[in-house]
Amino acid sequence: MRNSKRTDKWALWAVSTLCLGIPAVFILVPILAFVLNSLWHNDAGQLVKRLTLENYVAFFTDEDMRKVYFRTVFLCLSATVTNLVVGYICALYIYRQKVGSRLVLILIFTLPLFTSYIIKMYAIRGILGHRGVINELLIAAHVIQEPITAFIFSQSAIFLTLVVLYLPFSVLPIYLAMERIPENLRLASDDLGGKESHELKHIIFPLSLNGVVVAAVFTFVMTFGDFVTPQMVGGIDGYTFGRIVYSQFGVALNWPLGSALAVILLATSVVVALLSSLLLKLGVSR
Amino acid sequence: MQTPQELLKLDNICKSYGQTPVLKNINLSVYGNEFLTILGPSGSGKTTILKILAGFEEATQGVVLLNGQDISDMPINRRPFNTVFQDYALFPHMSVRKNVGYGLIVRGVGRAQREKRVDEVIETVGLTGFDKRLPAELSGGQRQRVALARAIICQPRIILLDEPLAALDVALRGQMCKFLKGMQRRLDIAFVFITHDQQEAIAMSDRIVVMRDGEIEQIGTPESLYAEPQTRFVAEFFGENNLLDGVVHSGDGTWAEVEVETDMGYLTCKSNNTATAVGARVAVAVRPENIDLLEDASRGYACKIEDIQYSGATYIVELSLQKASQIKLKCRLHGSRLPPALGVGDIVGVTWAPGSAVVIGKRDA
Amino acid sequence: MTRKFGLLSFITGCVSLAALVVIYAPLLTVWVFSFWKPIRVEGSLRLADFSWDSYQKLTENSEILETLRLTLTVGAISTVLAIVLSLVFSLFYWRTRGIARKAMQAIILLPFLLPPIIVGLSLLISFNEIYVRRGVLTIIIGHTVLVIPVVYKIVLNRLESINESYIQASFDLGASKFQTLVYVVIPQLGLAVTSGALLSFAISFDETLVTVFLSGSSSTLPIRLWSMMRLGFVPEINALASSIVCVAALATLLFWLVKKRVEARPRV
Repeated sequence: MRNSKRTDKWALWAVSTLCLGIPAVFILVPILAFVLNSLWHNDAGQLVKRLTLENYVAFFTDEDMRKVYFRTVFLCLSATVTNLVVGYICALYIYRQKVGSRLVLILIFTLPLFTSYIIKMYAIRGILGHRGVINELLIAAHVIQEPITAFIFSQSAIFLTLVVLYLPFSVLPIYLAMERIPENLRLASDDLGGKESHELKHIIFPLSLNGVVVAAVFTFVMTFGDFVTPQMVGGIDGYTFGRIVYSQFGVALNWPLGSALAVILLATSVVVALLSSLLLKLGVSR
Repeated sequence: MQTPQELLKLDNICKSYGQTPVLKNINLSVYGNEFLTILGPSGSGKTTILKILAGFEEATQGVVLLNGQDISDMPINRRPFNTVFQDYALFPHMSVRKNVGYGLIVRGVGRAQREKRVDEVIETVGLTGFDKRLPAELSGGQRQRVALARAIICQPRIILLDEPLAALDVALRGQMCKFLKGMQRRLDIAFVFITHDQQEAIAMSDRIVVMRDGEIEQIGTPESLYAEPQTRFVAEFFGENNLLDGVVHSGDGTWAEVEVETDMGYLTCKSNNTATAVGARVAVAVRPENIDLLEDASRGYACKIEDIQYSGATYIVELSLQKASQIKLKCRLHGSRLPPALGVGDIVGVTWAPGSAVVIGKRDA
Repeated sequence: MTRKFGLLSFITGCVSLAALVVIYAPLLTVWVFSFWKPIRVEGSLRLADFSWDSYQKLTENSEILETLRLTLTVGAISTVLAIVLSLVFSLFYWRTRGIARKAMQAIILLPFLLPPIIVGLSLLISFNEIYVRRGVLTIIIGHTVLVIPVVYKIVLNRLESINESYIQASFDLGASKFQTLVYVVIPQLGLAVTSGALLSFAISFDETLVTVFLSGSSSTLPIRLWSMMRLGFVPEINALASSIVCVAALATLLFWLVKKRVEARPRV
């Protein structure tokens, strides 16, 4: 559809340059810079700009670092799986309500997304701490005598906090996928005499799977990259991979190493995302 | 009424999407103040012609001439044509006033003059009092009037209408047909109307262009298309028709009349302006309403009555030729013309007035 | 169709209720503590009497208020920048074909898909390389980059749902491309831009993981709160937190109400 001629070509070139240029400069170039940084190395506090793979080698050879890495992967996978299960059940509950109630419910579930991340963490620390609400309640109920310290400053504390913080992030995509299921499929199942469990197994579950995958990838990537939570509720015991990455930019001041570890973190996230979509495709074709 | 000038000419227009040809060698003229309908089934290319006219598509070959000038490269917004879209495309966030006045707004017409023009046009289409409403608050017929008002306010040379009645229910369509025809007369500009509905076409048009598979089958007035179809397709598209295969036997020299040899015998037919050489394979068309039945079978072509259907004002009689029973004919008679003693199985004589048989010379696909 | 209240409903209902309790518990305790200050009485936790004290102290804490002001400013500027750029980008994607628009979209969406730590790091390293000091400017750039994908997607979805025949009709009636943009396209983007703006402001207001890499001496509220958390307890924090939650809740409610009203309008 043509609507003015020659000035068009010139204008198109100008706009294309702008539209491709700005994102490239502010997003692509920094990412390339960061990857490049991972290939440099730090020599006693000075940045040496020569290409080397020593940071990556350091990661693969350092046993402690590898231990933390796999521990974090396990931690985040557990948090993800937990959130998937709980999130799915919640999404299912909302889905099975009347349309008007659904809207209100999803609002209630996702409102915490718009409240402060830091504040929630602060509050959770308060609740879990050995002088926190849970301990006080348990003592008041005479269930225990002394406060339990296991709730805070441990890997389980990180796990619990991650689950609580990121639960709305898994409810939403799953619910949205369910919402997209055409209503007449459920009606047909009802009409053909299907019981609720049949409907769930054969209609709702398969068709909501891509929402589950989205939720899984989202949750894992966010928890794996979260370095504030481990620091706040993990204490000395709470070293996760994300925290190690962050510390390279803090006191340790080894940016190239930090960048390399961050590349590995990114690679992990990408692999998880790819695996999940692969799994989905396999599952769908069955 | 002055003789209409040729306003627009499509000269050998071809259009392909990739390898698929959609229009083949379209040659078409539009006259200054006629109501021209482009009629055809879906896929015939009729909408593509409109798009090329309006400028939404470019022809692969051929030119569009406006008063002799090539406007094929003219951008959409400069062409002096306005379109009424099938879904009306009324801007949903603008009131009727704003929608109608849009053409003037973008041309920078001053506010006072614009308001005046808008009022005039709204009155012309009969929507006075509805001007402040939003499109969502209007009925289908009202939206169509707004679309038309919006199209006429800039005083275009041609108004293009893309199946505008398709979205309306049947009862409303008849009303809108009358309305559009009346509008066209009143405005005295050319309307190019696209439809697949032959009833609409016959009711409103000065001329009809029948399209099939990207080619023009025939152009003519509704009467000429009905009485003198030039192809099998046209013959069967408008109403019902009896078609008999045959071979041209001889002519009277002027080719106004030809004799065709068919399974029914030698039929004298009007040659219908098609050049038919002796020996050419042709079809003979006779309209069911032109057929008479005679009780004395020997006075016509002897046929057996297969079925009689009563449909209120008429009887539809299905017949088969006695000597070649695979030849079937349909006959439509007013109640009073059906000999009362006749019933299914009887043999009757089929006849028709001399000018009723028409030769169709073009090969059909 | 009757939905029987069966075992499935019971289980899903219970779990959802428990989940809601768990999700809201932190917020609730903060809210409670803002009015009933927690105090230690003989080693165990007690609540003081109801008072507006924390809130009052909040209004007097100039440091926090200054940080709040900065956070709001950063949020506003990032949002405006994001809207302007997103409009350009989404219009470009909508009206062009070919590889340029695909490449652009892929790059734009990256900050949304990547872990925030990566986005933060890459910007930090880049700013360092070009000797730009960390401060308000870098924070604004970081937030804008994070927020553009959100606004872009919302606006693009709306653009792609606009019926092509409106554009055709506008051209047909004599409008230029620019006129069509101004008179026909942009007026239909109202809700999209508003929801994009609200969402991006909310994201910017709470943004922590990226901001931490881009902050200099002064910073936004989340960063300030984080350092306060590490250093010590200030009672105004509860008041501040509750106020933020209230504002966020009100804004979200408002947004939903407006959205319902707009969508309830009859559509052509």
